[in-house]
Amino acid sequence: MLETADRPVSHDDNSAAPSGGSPIALNAINRWVPHNLVMRDSWFPVAHDYSVTGKPVRRAVYSHPIFLWRDNGVAVASEFHPNERITRDKSEFTNAQGRYPVMEHYGVVWVWFGNPLAADPRHLPSLPFLPPKGGLPRHMTATVRFESSAPISLENLIDLTHADFLHADVVGDERSDSETVETFYDSETVTMVRTCVNKSVAPVMKFFSGIKQPTQNVRQVIRIYLRSHCAIAYGRFSPGDDVPLFHPCTPETRDRTRMEMVMNTSNAGLMFRHVMPKAGYKVSRQDSYMTSPQSPRYMRHTDRKDLHSKFDQAGQRYRMAMMELADRQAKGDFDYRDNVSADCSDIIGLRKELFQF
Amino acid sequence: MSLDSDLWWAVARSEEVTSQKPLSVDIGDQPVVLWRDNQGIARALEDRCPHRRAPLSLGCIRDNGQIQCGYHGWSYDGETGRLKEIPNMKDQQKFPPIYKANAFAVTEQAGFVRVCLNPKAQAPLSADPKYTYVGTVNVSCSHQEYLNALYDDPSLILSVRGVRFSPYLMSELHEENGLLVMERNCQWHPLHWPSHFVAEFPLTLLTRTHPLTGETQLTLRDDQFNDLLHAVLSPVPSARGVTAVRWRAELGVRHPGVRGAVLRGINPLSVHASIDGSKLRATKPTVSLHGEDLRKAMLETKPATHDQTVAA
Ligand code: FES
Ligand SMILES: [Fe+2]
Repeated sequence: MLETADRPVSHDDNSAAPSGGSPIALNAINRWVPHNLVMRDSWFPVAHDYSVTGKPVRRAVYSHPIFLWRDNGVAVASEFHPNERITRDKSEFTNAQGRYPVMEHYGVVWVWFGNPLAADPRHLPSLPFLPPKGGLPRHMTATVRFESSAPISLENLIDLTHADFLHADVVGDERSDSETVETFYDSETVTMVRTCVNKSVAPVMKFFSGIKQPTQNVRQVIRIYLRSHCAIAYGRFSPGDDVPLFHPCTPETRDRTRMEMVMNTSNAGLMFRHVMPKAGYKVSRQDSYMTSPQSPRYMRHTDRKDLHSKFDQAGQRYRMAMMELADRQAKGDFDYRDNVSADCSDIIGLRKELFQF
Repeated sequence: MSLDSDLWWAVARSEEVTSQKPLSVDIGDQPVVLWRDNQGIARALEDRCPHRRAPLSLGCIRDNGQIQCGYHGWSYDGETGRLKEIPNMKDQQKFPPIYKANAFAVTEQAGFVRVCLNPKAQAPLSADPKYTYVGTVNVSCSHQEYLNALYDDPSLILSVRGVRFSPYLMSELHEENGLLVMERNCQWHPLHWPSHFVAEFPLTLLTRTHPLTGETQLTLRDDQFNDLLHAVLSPVPSARGVTAVRWRAELGVRHPGVRGAVLRGINPLSVHASIDGSKLRATKPTVSLHGEDLRKAMLETKPATHDQTVAA
């Protein structure tokens, strides 16, 4: 039997703003047109640090061109290609030289999309399982693209029941003795924690971590940073490994998503360490098989309501939180009411001893 | 093209609908998923899972005959469209009636699976003729243009083995029992006089077309009034202006001599998967122009119904 809990993250007494902001009626979930949500004043992860070299590479956030290269080793993000004969106006998102604010952290290049004067490292999502200065081996990273809008991909991620079904060959089927799901949120994040007792062992772990037992206890966490469309997917398997994954869904356009994935398997066994990041390719194709045809069906509003099960609570919370934020932005309010860079180790239940940098 | 909700569209050939793999088809803009349940009955639901809108045709058919969405595994009953099961929720398997996918009416006859978007529609009655030759093509051409091509020059869309369609009509397009009927003179191929100088034509192609669905019965006759070939052609408007065409054909009486033998070779009828654009644009609307007026007049005076399914 499944139980769910859905509650705002508790705040310190001296915290000024109430979390969650103005409550959006639950039926906001049914006005979900993710294609129309454009978030700004946020850091977007656009490249692994090793892909930015002296030669410009091209990226986009909501179709706005971004060219990345290094000047004396320092990353530059420009609206214009250095060889471009400029025939268009500079956007409001760059400085007088057409440069976006850019920073490197966690082995990833982040571009600030929004008011350049508001760019602040304090708004960088906390990813406590990644070395701040980067340097993880490349086989733990990958680039994956999705033909769907970024919120559709994130909704896919935060809904873990599809994994038992769509990815059963990788992560194991849905059988377990008990299962609980809890959702926590504030104005900038939604976090879901799913705990399963005696769940069927994930086939990848059976084969590559040598787990002999038929079942394992599983604690899976999905934490989404709403604005930057970044997610953490953290699984703790016992017996088994700790698998924290950085799963960003950068909206290169409103319905094409780029994921600069980083999976820190440094603490896993040798085989698993190498195989698990590759499983991401298979899993992402399986997801894409569903999200690609799904995405155009969410481009326009329809009066037909989606049906929900009790497993969809986290996804519904994600929809509501995104729309609330979009609502605020539509009114010109781009302030952060909650701090996304505060260490989230405790929220995601990170075994910190394994991730000391 | 009208997508009158009471029309029965022949969206699949019977053998295309199985209990192994769902089949995705369209009726105009409406995606439809077809499969056969555990009793062998053909089922049709909207090809859209009401949970998160994934196409149900990407899912699978369970042993109990329900269709299961491939995304989160929700299972639906084919007859009613109602949700029957959610994985992980074995304890609660009763869902309120709004938990359903739209179900469409289905009937199967004469080797075609027909779907009507109105779930309450009464299925038409028909005989069950035997057809040996079958095919499915998806032609990048609108439904109406496809029918116009059939009227103006059938060689744009199909060929009959050993037969050449002439431009001379035996009977122009007219109404007969609620169908659009015409008859075209044909010759044996390739030994013949140029058609302009022919005194007698040895063959005719008779077509009888439903004014709304465009479903057409074709009959090739020789001058002794023997039916040499009979076929049913079912064009269905599909996504992106494509016309999905299913057809079935059967040989009739054997025409004597070599010519008759040629016609009886493999595949007497072929329906083309594409239309030559340069030929199409140069084809004058000699029949279709008047056909359109006729069709409109017919529909005004006496709306066509599903009883006039031409394969009946
Ligand atoms: S979309 Fe079909 S079960 Fe979820
Ligand atoms: Fe997935």
